[in-house]
Amino acid sequence: MCGIVGLHLKNPALEPELGRLFVPMLEAMTSRGPDSAGLATYDAEGMHVVKDVGLPRDICAAHDIAARSGHQAVGHTRMATESAVTSDHAHPFTPLPDLALVHNGSFSNHASIRRTLARQGIACTTDNDSEVAARFIACELTEGADLEDAMRSVLKEFDGFFTLLVTSGTQFAVLRDSFACKPAVIAETADYVAMASEYHALAELPGIGDARIVEPEPERVYAWSR
Amino acid sequence: MVALNGSSVQELMKVDLASTSVRELNAELHAPTARRYEVHNPRGAEAIAVGLRHAIEVEIHGPAGYYCAGMNMLADVVVHGSVGTGVAENMMSGSVRVRGDASQSAGATGHGGLLVVEGSASMRCGISMKGIDIVVGGDVGPMSAFMAQAGRLVVCGDAGDGLGDSIYEARLYVRGRVGSPGADCVEKEMRDEHVAELGQLLADAGLPHDPGEFRRFGSARRLYHFAAHNSAAY
Repeated sequence: MCGIVGLHLKNPALEPELGRLFVPMLEAMTSRGPDSAGLATYDAEGMHVVKDVGLPRDICAAHDIAARSGHQAVGHTRMATESAVTSDHAHPFTPLPDLALVHNGSFSNHASIRRTLARQGIACTTDNDSEVAARFIACELTEGADLEDAMRSVLKEFDGFFTLLVTSGTQFAVLRDSFACKPAVIAETADYVAMASEYHALAELPGIGDARIVEPEPERVYAWSR
Repeated sequence: MVALNGSSVQELMKVDLASTSVRELNAELHAPTARRYEVHNPRGAEAIAVGLRHAIEVEIHGPAGYYCAGMNMLADVVVHGSVGTGVAENMMSGSVRVRGDASQSAGATGHGGLLVVEGSASMRCGISMKGIDIVVGGDVGPMSAFMAQAGRLVVCGDAGDGLGDSIYEARLYVRGRVGSPGADCVEKEMRDEHVAELGQLLADAGLPHDPGEFRRFGSARRLYHFAAHNSAAY
């Protein structure tokens, strides 16, 4: 299974509240991924990553995530279907200093793409399929693509099931495969964009009752920049 | 708690999911002590009002999560909000009305009853439907009515790609555009009996459209019949 959450703040007044808003989102996805969890928060100093084995509630408490400020956060709760349950195998995968990828699904051709990347001198540090997608996107970005183009390249090269949320220092992008079996819902208000695997992860956000709620269509990149 | 078969059945019970668990709510709805229920603060919780088997009315005020009103029999459920994946999945009878939008697989595998989505429904609406009637006020996403076996699907807006792929004998009525019909799904003539049943479904759903604005889709029946000329292969 696995759960994905992300929060991209548009209103700077909410930035001191980032962690307080984000923690309930991640905890709400515990039932989708009780093995391990990880998150990245973004502030003026850059991206800060926490990954650990255990329940989201305990991980958030241990690292005092609720006290974090910033303009963006992305998180993942993992129910492993392949590769080991360790903090290294937890998401997000962060192949560049400001790039984070979280994935719900499974790639069927990740071994082929891993070998292609290896021939270009790009090595993965785990045997996790999601890391291959993160490295692939990082490679595209390094070669000059913007995030939306890099995500579209994922559609061309990767086979399998995926809902992806990918963030950089300034961007927040969502993509689902052509069958869109893995769930996703996006809520947007004047103050924020929030994404989650299921609506109930968004239910505590301020103004959610008046938010524009969208279920992302298959094969379409949804991206926001600041 | 008062038994349903007594004379002292409550008319209305209000349940606040901020202070009551979904499991407690469903246990009450499975052995109801009231005729009508109001459910507040659903906040997208999963499996609200699942497995009902009594002719009660349940109104859910707010968004509900996965499998809301799944396996419903006899009960009338209204959601004043949007719903997650699999609303009214495998419904047997009764009715489910969603005032907002529905996520994927609305009414999946339903055997009977009426599902009304006043907003739009996402992908795979009515997948493998087996007799349920589904009326959608807005659009339905790709792959709706996939392998639909029986029942009627009415779409007042547009239908996405692959409508009715591998369909059996369900009847599909679409008022707007169809992205593309799926394998073995074809447009068919609207005869008088189709106009009549569509008019009744729209009336039951409380939607004002003229049945004459709809097109009918169904099975070309090329896919699911055994072909006698292949018999030598077995």
